[in-house]
Amino acid sequence: MNSAIELLAPRYDIAWYPWAVQYFFLIALSYATLWLAVPALVFGKQRWLPTARLALLACLTTTLVAPVALLADLHQPLRFWHFYAYANSHSWMSIGSLILPLYVVGVIVLAWLAWRPALQAHRQVPGLSGLVARWVSLGDAPTPRALLVLVGLGTLALSTGIMLYTGAEVAIVKARPLWHTVWLPPMFVATGFIAASGLILVLNRVAGERSTTVSRQMLKVLLGACLFAGMIAGSWFLDGINANVGSVAAAMESVRGSAEWRSTALWGGLTGVVLFGAVLTLLTRPASRRPALHAWAWVLGLVALHVGWMFRWVVLMDVQTVARHSAGFHHYGIPAGSSGILGIVGTFGLWLAALLLVDLFVPWRQARQGGSAADISPAEPASHDVEGAPSHG
Amino acid sequence: MDPIRRTLLGQLARLSAGAAMVPLSSVASARINQQPPRREGDPGKRYGMLIDLRQCIGCQACTVSCHIENAAPLGSFRTTVSQYEVAHQETGEVATFMLPRLCNHCENPPCVPVCPVEATFQRQDGIVVVDSDRCVGCAYCVNACPYDARFINERTQTADKCTFCAHRLEAGLLPACVESCVGGARIIGDMRDPESQISRMIAEHREELMVLQPEKNTLPQVFYLGMDERFVTRPDAEPVALDVLDPHGQEMGYEFRH
Repeated sequence: MNSAIELLAPRYDIAWYPWAVQYFFLIALSYATLWLAVPALVFGKQRWLPTARLALLACLTTTLVAPVALLADLHQPLRFWHFYAYANSHSWMSIGSLILPLYVVGVIVLAWLAWRPALQAHRQVPGLSGLVARWVSLGDAPTPRALLVLVGLGTLALSTGIMLYTGAEVAIVKARPLWHTVWLPPMFVATGFIAASGLILVLNRVAGERSTTVSRQMLKVLLGACLFAGMIAGSWFLDGINANVGSVAAAMESVRGSAEWRSTALWGGLTGVVLFGAVLTLLTRPASRRPALHAWAWVLGLVALHVGWMFRWVVLMDVQTVARHSAGFHHYGIPAGSSGILGIVGTFGLWLAALLLVDLFVPWRQARQGGSAADISPAEPASHDVEGAPSHG
Repeated sequence: MDPIRRTLLGQLARLSAGAAMVPLSSVASARINQQPPRREGDPGKRYGMLIDLRQCIGCQACTVSCHIENAAPLGSFRTTVSQYEVAHQETGEVATFMLPRLCNHCENPPCVPVCPVEATFQRQDGIVVVDSDRCVGCAYCVNACPYDARFINERTQTADKCTFCAHRLEAGLLPACVESCVGGARIIGDMRDPESQISRMIAEHREELMVLQPEKNTLPQVFYLGMDERFVTRPDAEPVALDVLDPHGQEMGYEFRH
């Protein structure tokens, strides 16, 4: 090509706002934490119970907030009922709109079943906390374990539907070559597990549990998820140099043509490698030094959350700035208002509020695989005298 | 890289993590993302457009008349003319190239199956339209169109696009862009009618006609005559004057800050 300039190249605004990033991030945390809660709550592996309790807390709160962000990304949020009035089977988004409410209900019921015995044990507590426990626990009949297993398995199945639809919805868009790759959906899942294990590491510290079992289990999951993500990224790249894969070619072109994309690629690669290296180091230290080192695992948790969120930001926001049929890149500055910074902060604020409300009224530290109030013994190994009212920090 | 190593790398790539996704992708291609049945419109017609680039002088009369006819918000366009200044690498000789762009009313429109509420649909005469009373503004279609032909109308907060001025066609009028084209570069018509001007021109120039981004398999129904194949996909060019609105949302003068 001779050298060319495009005069009057129009600027095309991005069509999906940061709300979409918030939704994809929260829903990934939701399904990944569900999977981390399942070993203990559904399959009865007692060693995973401390992890499951934190995971269930994270799962319920992210599940409640994620659809709010999704709704906010619609330009006509009050028309959400059109999704059900005009449901169809040819749009991944429509399929998602059918799976999502079922999944949300599944998670709520699962959390309720797991927390019910502890809530029943709290019926006599004076004040608002007891009132909530009396009202929410719906009687004092025992919670059948089989029911919990059944709901857990059902929700697990629905969560794979969420993984599939959120990935496929983006990956089928041919118009954006960077999205149009079969490797994107598994990468969403892998980075989702990275972020979820990170979140549990952080919650383990912030909620004052400081369980070394939890941090060890989560570091292992984190290591596995990092490996999985690395394999996917590698396969995507190998596929690209091997055959003419549009996604890899477009990525190379973006990286070549833009300093921002170069630094993004460098930052992403570097953070991933550093995270993987640090987790591996922590897991392979001699047992005597582990407790001291594991106390700092929450820092890696924050890095993992950063990886999970940034991946979604780059994929969903930055890719929209790559022009499709005109020259150059479309510049995107995050607006301050509700479609920008305020939306991002607001979503996290809402999540924090949900977390605090659950922490205030629900004895989530005593979640268990069904049973009755009598199973919640006062001698429960929790180091705190009153559960739900914890000592933070 | 030698072919054997290439093949090996390819095999490795397929064997690793993504292997699990293969059955899922075959499910995806089975039914989901297929075109829903067309509705409304005259099944006896198939509208298309032929743009004779030899006649286009880049005056933007089509851009302006479309803007007025369809009341698009400032800075959003249903049609526009991309203008390129091309310098010959050796002689330095400069030429301009004009590329009028609009919705291609594709035979396989990627924007239609993605719509979660079937608000955007293809009529039986091939015109792709949006029911703005039904549209939820999810902007999935905006992302799905490879031609930047769609946008979210900031006033209606729903998806907006070129309709070939269906309201004018129904009244026996030409679309605003066709009506105002000083060179007669835009020809619209029923391609099922062998006597229409567009059918005759397609028959006459069949070998020379090009469409935009044919590799996307969207089968565009806007055909370009006198096209340079280097502009069929995203041209390798530098942008000038990306902004029409200043940060306060006011229209600003074009700045040639090259």
